[in-house]
Amino acid sequence: MSSSQLAQKRKTNTGFSPAQRGTNNSRAHIVLAVVGFIMVFPFLWQLIMSLSTNAQVMSVPPTFWPGELQWQNFAAVFTKVPFLSQLGVSITITVLRVLGQVVLCCMAGYAFARMRFSFKGVTLGIILSILMVPSQVYLIPQFQIIQNLGLLNTVWGIVLPGIFSAFGVFLMRQFFMGLPTELEEAARLDGANPFQIFWKVMLPLAAPGISALVIITTLWSWNDLLWPLVVTTYAESMPLSAGLATMQGSVSTDYTVMMAASIMAMAPVLILFIALQRRVIDGLAFSGTK
Amino acid sequence: MKKKNIARLAPLGLVAALALSACSANGGDEAVSTDSKATISYAVWDENQVPALKQNIADFNKEYPNIEVKLDVTPWSQFWTKLQTQASSDTLPDVFWMNGPNFQLYAANDQLEPLTGLIDDKKIDPANYPEALDTLYSYDGTQYGVPKDFDTLGLWYNKSILEQAGVEIPTDAWTWDEIHAASKKISDTLGDQGVYGMTTSLTGGQEGYYNSILQAGGEIISEDGKKSGYDSPEAIEGIQFWTDLIADGSMPTLQQLSDTTANVWFTSGKSGFFYSGTWIVSELSEAENTMDLNVAPLPKGERQATVIHGLANVISSKSKNKAASEAFVTYLASKEAQTTQAEMGAANPAFNGTQTAFVDSVPHFDIQVLLDAQDYAYPYPISKNTAAWTQLETDLLPAAFSGDKPVKDVANELATKMNEALAKE
Amino acid sequence: MTLPAGTTLGGIAAAQRPARQRAGSPTDGWWPWLFVLPTLLGVLVFYIWPLFQTGYLSFTETGPFGGETWVGTENYAKMLGDKNVGLALVNTVVYTVIVLLGIPVAILLASMVNRPGLRFATFYRVLFFMPYIAMPTAVALVWRMIYNGDFGILNWFLSIFGIDGPYWTSTPGFAIVAVGIVGMWSSLGFSMIILSAGLKNIPPDFYEAAQLDGASRWKQFTSITVPLLTPSIFFVTIISVINGFQLFDLLYAIMGSRNPAMQQSQSLVYIFYNQAFIHNNRGYAAAIAMLILLVIGIVTWFQFRMQKRWVNYV
Repeated sequence: MSSSQLAQKRKTNTGFSPAQRGTNNSRAHIVLAVVGFIMVFPFLWQLIMSLSTNAQVMSVPPTFWPGELQWQNFAAVFTKVPFLSQLGVSITITVLRVLGQVVLCCMAGYAFARMRFSFKGVTLGIILSILMVPSQVYLIPQFQIIQNLGLLNTVWGIVLPGIFSAFGVFLMRQFFMGLPTELEEAARLDGANPFQIFWKVMLPLAAPGISALVIITTLWSWNDLLWPLVVTTYAESMPLSAGLATMQGSVSTDYTVMMAASIMAMAPVLILFIALQRRVIDGLAFSGTK
Repeated sequence: MKKKNIARLAPLGLVAALALSACSANGGDEAVSTDSKATISYAVWDENQVPALKQNIADFNKEYPNIEVKLDVTPWSQFWTKLQTQASSDTLPDVFWMNGPNFQLYAANDQLEPLTGLIDDKKIDPANYPEALDTLYSYDGTQYGVPKDFDTLGLWYNKSILEQAGVEIPTDAWTWDEIHAASKKISDTLGDQGVYGMTTSLTGGQEGYYNSILQAGGEIISEDGKKSGYDSPEAIEGIQFWTDLIADGSMPTLQQLSDTTANVWFTSGKSGFFYSGTWIVSELSEAENTMDLNVAPLPKGERQATVIHGLANVISSKSKNKAASEAFVTYLASKEAQTTQAEMGAANPAFNGTQTAFVDSVPHFDIQVLLDAQDYAYPYPISKNTAAWTQLETDLLPAAFSGDKPVKDVANELATKMNEALAKE
Repeated sequence: MTLPAGTTLGGIAAAQRPARQRAGSPTDGWWPWLFVLPTLLGVLVFYIWPLFQTGYLSFTETGPFGGETWVGTENYAKMLGDKNVGLALVNTVVYTVIVLLGIPVAILLASMVNRPGLRFATFYRVLFFMPYIAMPTAVALVWRMIYNGDFGILNWFLSIFGIDGPYWTSTPGFAIVAVGIVGMWSSLGFSMIILSAGLKNIPPDFYEAAQLDGASRWKQFTSITVPLLTPSIFFVTIISVINGFQLFDLLYAIMGSRNPAMQQSQSLVYIFYNQAFIHNNRGYAAAIAMLILLVIGIVTWFQFRMQKRWVNYV
């Protein structure tokens, strides 16, 4: 069975018989709605506070609806941050990190999951060991390396250490290990070399894993604060996360403006996520197979 | 053990000094000229002051059009982490802000450029700034920083709350007894509305207990920075002042002050009095209840006292553009530059006589009170590794304020541990 | 009702297993190295080398800006006698355990939301992933407001039931639990992303077979979904433990460095950060970093050892 045949099979088969698909999901809906409300409540509360006055934020019992909406809290954010230029930096570094991680982590993850080579355990152990050290520990040495490479204040300086990801390697390894082996065997018998097997057979099957890696790397890169702050010196080379943190420092006690700023910091990825949600999670799972 | 390092570094310092003198012998005269070309970086942490700083840079460029100054704003919570990383790699910004607690650490480890040359050439005159600040930014008799602004403390009050509780407006004759009685009265009268008489931050000393210790006649650290002052009866009295306020409900507990910080209690109209400094002016002038607020001198104890602190501009000893950096710092030290800061309401400038513009920037506050406080101000307490013992204050003092342990025991323990830390410097 | 265990499912798994032990050369030659080398080099340069430097620093007394003196094991001896370190280890474990409790919840939710044909599935996914999308500093701010002892909505809610809520973020004991709940809340979305990817991998035939056997949904969940999801569950568990032991950002942002309860609530990484960047004591900080590495290393090694008992690879 070729990969496209398998994909075809998956596409038509949802895993449940038509009979079961029609069954009642009401219990699931109740659970999902209740937990979903708890999950989303802090954001609702944030939105309410961002449109309130400071006196309302401090009132007992809580003010659930501010009455007159204080939109100027959002306007205050726009006047303080060069939103568009920093958005550009954020997008650039995120795209580069995602591309780098997907390529490197898929290759290494596949090798660790399916290939046989000497020192495999040791090599994997070395790579995984870096996960166990808090990132603050690497801060000064990594800065010195980036400085020696002459990459301070550059996009590559921000991007570089973050395209190597032990997390991504481990994620893809686990993912590949969960895939069935028959296809590989078939391709091997057909005389394909390991790269062809990886590229033509396994990678398309890994789409759900890759999309998970894409989502996680995007969010991590978008929200990453300390490293970009340390390797960049000027506002024009900073990403949005750093720019908004700078802004938050200046209104440290104005809760309502800070809430508005945090909503704006989240908004781009949230919108991206909602817009692409279907495509990223569902679509990618099949797109690789054409 | 720290001494070992210094001893090891001493020969290096000597070499550096020789190299420096060689420099000034060769190139000292070719001081930066108006058409010199350079790019320098200027690292600061307060986004609020950026407009005024940009104006400063623009004015500086009128004289030196080819020196580009790039502003590097890093939020306070990451500022010192970043600076330490840069210092470890010899990539400190050319010019940057410095505060009292960190100054000696950077000066003692040869990270800062002495300003001796600029002072000798009469480009910068220390006499133009409050003496306490010149002292703060001198180390081993050498001046490393030019004061940029300064902060003293005052008693802020909310007229409307005082009126509701039937409490008089504070005067400069108030003592500890008056403030305590007034706070108690407010808490008793308006407590059912969640209003307290007094809220002041006790997480660091500058707003609260440093002042009361000084007012009681004590000191936080000896003048030579070698010995803790916490075990004196005066210091204990200064801490007890706050313990008493919390104990009878005149002031919220430490937990309440941790969940909701003192300035928020005050700006949201839930407290009558608030000890705070010059830096709070811009925040209070934008508060929703700003017209109810005003400031009076801190109540007296045995004597009248407040802490004075301010920021300084310093130059990195590793700067590759020292001449340009010196020219820029000289400009920042000027009357013109500091007046700009005041007029734009960014900070209370350090240059003597320029503060009027700051006083006028918020006419409904008696800011003059904070300027007059200079006369009875004591320098902010620091040593070479200030962070070591301020951490001890943070760890130990809460038990005294909450009444969990007798103030005397806590103060003695703090003094012992602080002396140990100081001995290691 | 019951699934004839070992027949349908076991049969499929058993049929696949021998395929792995294929005959042929013991290694795949230089191909694997081609795949692994770019990552390995990057990791060696940017992570392992700094790690060695940290290891060296842990045996020195280091000036704030470099310049170190060899002191042997002095930092380690000091660390063993530092009762704050022991306390921090306990706090870190408590936090990690709370976060781990979120994994079973995530498995259940992921399997529900991935049910074929479930209406509003996209909407639910957005709800669950939102906490994971949010910037940690922004999230911490909202939670601080929710937890506020005097004005927070949580204590107001509790007061409806006559419960007098504590000062959540400034009472020792409560604070680390409060932070742990936020940690669990914000990592649930992460677990669900990974687990959803794993769910996509379960061949639909398994469910068909189970249905033919008349297995209930719960039975299908426990005997197909969970066992076949174990590689993903293993991954999520390992990552949650590693992240849990590295607690810093949330604690710092929710409690603040000057919190009166901080001394009783600090984590290992908090002590590291404080020593390295606030107290400029990088030698001692390096020793604490080595302790963190050691503790996480042991726990992770143990988990890898145990995986053979419960993780099914096809």
